[in-house]
Amino acid sequence: MTSKEKIQQEIGQTLQSLDGLKRAEANPFLFTRIKARMDRKANVWERTFSFISKPAIAVAIVVVVMAVNGWALWDKSGPGTVETVTSENVSELANEYNVVASVDNYDYDNMTNE
Amino acid sequence: MINERELIEQLKQGDETAFKTIVEQWKDMVYNTILGIVQNETEAEDLAQDVFIKVFEKINTFKGDSKFSTWLYRISTTTALDHLRSKKRKKRFGFLQSLGGDSDEKDSIPDFHHPGVSLDNKERAAVLFKAIGALPENQKTAYTLHKLEGLSYRDVSEVLNTSVSAVESLMSRANQNLRKQLEEYYNKHYK
Repeated sequence: MTSKEKIQQEIGQTLQSLDGLKRAEANPFLFTRIKARMDRKANVWERTFSFISKPAIAVAIVVVVMAVNGWALWDKSGPGTVETVTSENVSELANEYNVVASVDNYDYDNMTNE
Repeated sequence: MINERELIEQLKQGDETAFKTIVEQWKDMVYNTILGIVQNETEAEDLAQDVFIKVFEKINTFKGDSKFSTWLYRISTTTALDHLRSKKRKKRFGFLQSLGGDSDEKDSIPDFHHPGVSLDNKERAAVLFKAIGALPENQKTAYTLHKLEGLSYRDVSEVLNTSVSAVESLMSRANQNLRKQLEEYYNKHYK
């Protein structure tokens, strides 16, 4: 038998090596471990919620949110900082970049794949 | 004995006993599928835990259109493949990998031994598992489900959400790729 034939024989035997394989068995304590993980996960959320729901923390969060909102409103009502975008700006931009500003001109029923 | 549909309904209500029964009934199937794909016993156990936690959390999305086992196989294969992808990403950017390169790994001696392989096939099976590990994802999944879990092509097609002929084609390409890899391996290592 040549070495090429021997190699082909090896390959054939290797491909058959999983025939009759038995299913690997999971850890018998898998459920206990899953349960422990789920409890840990639940505990993290419980701890987070119990921390947030402490009166001092809850009041502090509300104060911070109100302060941020107040600051945002005050900032917006200040001297005009925002430049308004008019339709002229948009059409100027569209012309400059050769963009079709409207899609109304498309005929979807007769479109070709050109 | 309680049937599958009742178990699922009870699990949807959050029943812990039903969850325990489901874990006990399907744990080997899930573990063996994942083990075939990730080829590492510690990782396979962690991922099997992840799968059952996902089952507990997502059971309400199971509509019963497919068999429960098909749904479980889908979660198991997706979880295992996601894990491999993230491992590959980490490796790609890893310092050691940049020094070693991929070629070393390809030529290395196979080190995964499936616990269900008979002793006289141990070495050959390890070589085959190494080749399976290098298959593209969909071929690897089809091959694992068919060879390790003994699923028919029809069952594999349901898990992969594809046709039976597509599975036949996947299996044929998987076998071709395995032959090619084994030929390279034995050309290097055969005495």
